[in-house]
Amino acid sequence: MNNLLSAPARPEAPATERAGRRSRTEIIIVVVVVLAVLAAIVAGLSTPRFATVANAKAIITSASLVGIAALGLTLITIGGSAVSLAISPSVAAVGMIFLSAQSLGLAPALVLAIAGGTLITGLQGAVIGYAAANPVLLTIATSFAIAGLATGISGGETVSPTGTGYDRLNATPGGVALSVYALVGLTLILEWLLRRTAFGRTLYLIGENRRAAWTAGLPVGRTTTVAWLAAGALFAVTAAFTAAFNTSANVNLGGTLTFDAIAAVLAGGTPISGGRGSALRTLAGAVLIAAVSDILLLRGYSTGVQIMVKGLIVLIVVILVHLHAKGRNA
Amino acid sequence: MRSRSLRRPETLVPLASVTIMIVAFAMIPAYTDAAIAPFDVYNTFQIFARLGLLALALGLTMIAGEFDLSVVGTYALGGMLAVQAGQEHWVYGLLAAVAAGGVIGLVQGGVIAGLKLPSMPVTLATYITLLGLTSALSGGLTKTYSNPSVTLWVDQTVLTFFSPRSLLTLGLFLLAAVVLAVTRWGRELRAIGGDRRASQVAGVRVGRLIVGTFMLSGMLSALGGSLLSFSLGSANPDPGVQPLIVAAAAALLGGLSLAGGRGNALGLLGGIMAVALLAEIVTVAALPGYVTQLFFAGLLGVIVVIDAPDLHRALLRQRTRLRPERNPASMPITTRELS
Repeated sequence: MNNLLSAPARPEAPATERAGRRSRTEIIIVVVVVLAVLAAIVAGLSTPRFATVANAKAIITSASLVGIAALGLTLITIGGSAVSLAISPSVAAVGMIFLSAQSLGLAPALVLAIAGGTLITGLQGAVIGYAAANPVLLTIATSFAIAGLATGISGGETVSPTGTGYDRLNATPGGVALSVYALVGLTLILEWLLRRTAFGRTLYLIGENRRAAWTAGLPVGRTTTVAWLAAGALFAVTAAFTAAFNTSANVNLGGTLTFDAIAAVLAGGTPISGGRGSALRTLAGAVLIAAVSDILLLRGYSTGVQIMVKGLIVLIVVILVHLHAKGRNA
Repeated sequence: MRSRSLRRPETLVPLASVTIMIVAFAMIPAYTDAAIAPFDVYNTFQIFARLGLLALALGLTMIAGEFDLSVVGTYALGGMLAVQAGQEHWVYGLLAAVAAGGVIGLVQGGVIAGLKLPSMPVTLATYITLLGLTSALSGGLTKTYSNPSVTLWVDQTVLTFFSPRSLLTLGLFLLAAVVLAVTRWGRELRAIGGDRRASQVAGVRVGRLIVGTFMLSGMLSALGGSLLSFSLGSANPDPGVQPLIVAAAAALLGGLSLAGGRGNALGLLGGIMAVALLAEIVTVAALPGYVTQLFFAGLLGVIVVIDAPDLHRALLRQRTRLRPERNPASMPITTRELS
């Protein structure tokens, strides 16, 4: 039984035969990565106040909210549904539910929020899983629908908390924000789910080749739906933390979260085509982007430059990951 | 021959959507207190001019089987460059914007064609980068254009219904229609969207064509952004995702397919006119802003679901299953042959 549950062993490739063919691309990739790491270390150490414990906490805290949402997106991407462009409005809607349910107490409000988030995103997953609708365009449409409905129901007003239970999410046990513990814990759970469960392995197969998975009799529709349901739950966790941090929620609560989460997933090296990637990589991607933004912020660059550098990091990683994958397949 | 070509989706979908919208537009007095004035037609063409070039840019890449998410980034950057470089004379601004759009397309097309990368992640990264660049150029602020004569000129009424801006956009559409229908470039564009490997074998220079298409897409989006900035008299560093959503809806209503290889510029024109008419109807009927959002969401959602490949297969399976079948074991084979 143990054998069945463990990750399939990778057959060792005949190294000598392959090394020659892929060497040039591999060398370029290694050189670029080493140079980038060196440049980051030099830039970090030469930036005043970067290498301090307080700043490290600031980086990981700012990575945590984007990171949790990006974990959800990782499931979507690995399963071959590319990305969801409806993360920001979903988070805004769930944040509004969470705060307006505060009068019930923290735990019921959390349950309601997670149920709402799971439902919103899971429905989209069902359409994508069973009908193979284009995820990018479908989520563009749903982002409009969710934002429109949220505006219509709230009357465009900002929702204020109806209780004070939410403040417990802003706790900092051991001097580190609760959301950081949530990020680390959820990353580990997700990594285990992806590597060690039938659901995880099926998800990778569907992402690798949907048609083949369908032909092989794998539950394509169900697995995709479950992945989106879980993603919705993770978006809801982000929403609860974000709403608690802001102590109010309106339609713009999500901000640029959609693109921040996509950037974190792609910068971690998960290819958008699916079938590869991991939760740990997304964690690394989220921390990388938070660290680079932090360096730029400490050096006094504008928000525009920070966004631009984020885009360039994503572009470079996408190209490197693609070259690496091609080198491996050649 | 004629009736057969009418039934093709790239003709049928835009024709049906435009007809429905025109009827709904003509019936405005029946369900609101407002009457239709020539200004409403003018305004519809203004909405068309606002989105037309963006949708054409996106549409060209869709016909080639790609999807250029960065069009909105180029749109924002083009608008900003037109304002900032065009303070002395509008020509400098327009040239700067279109040149920047061309360079962006060259780089993106080069990366996508040269490394055989999927266009989604590349254009998404470019989109983020361009939004950052635009925001850095303007300091995150809306920039005003201090040349009111240009603003007045692009939006002046011509022939009751048009403005120079909408006429220019219409002209570019007609040009694109002729080029796509008559030239070898147009045929090859549809060919690489339909079956890239086959067209490569048939001697189409796929790489060059993709780079050219992305350059054209970049230049058209930048031009669209510049015209919008001139018209508004200001440039906004972040237009949001709404223009992309509306352009995608227009392209799909125009009979284009996400799979590529299908569509023409006249159909696309029909799709955008349908969207522009819908936006004008919502304005005239004075519905709140979020209702427009819900309309567009519903429209795009329905198209995306109808376009979903497995839905057809599932429906087909259902239909096959309903037929009396003596030997259930033969069913999967029948289904496969049908699909």
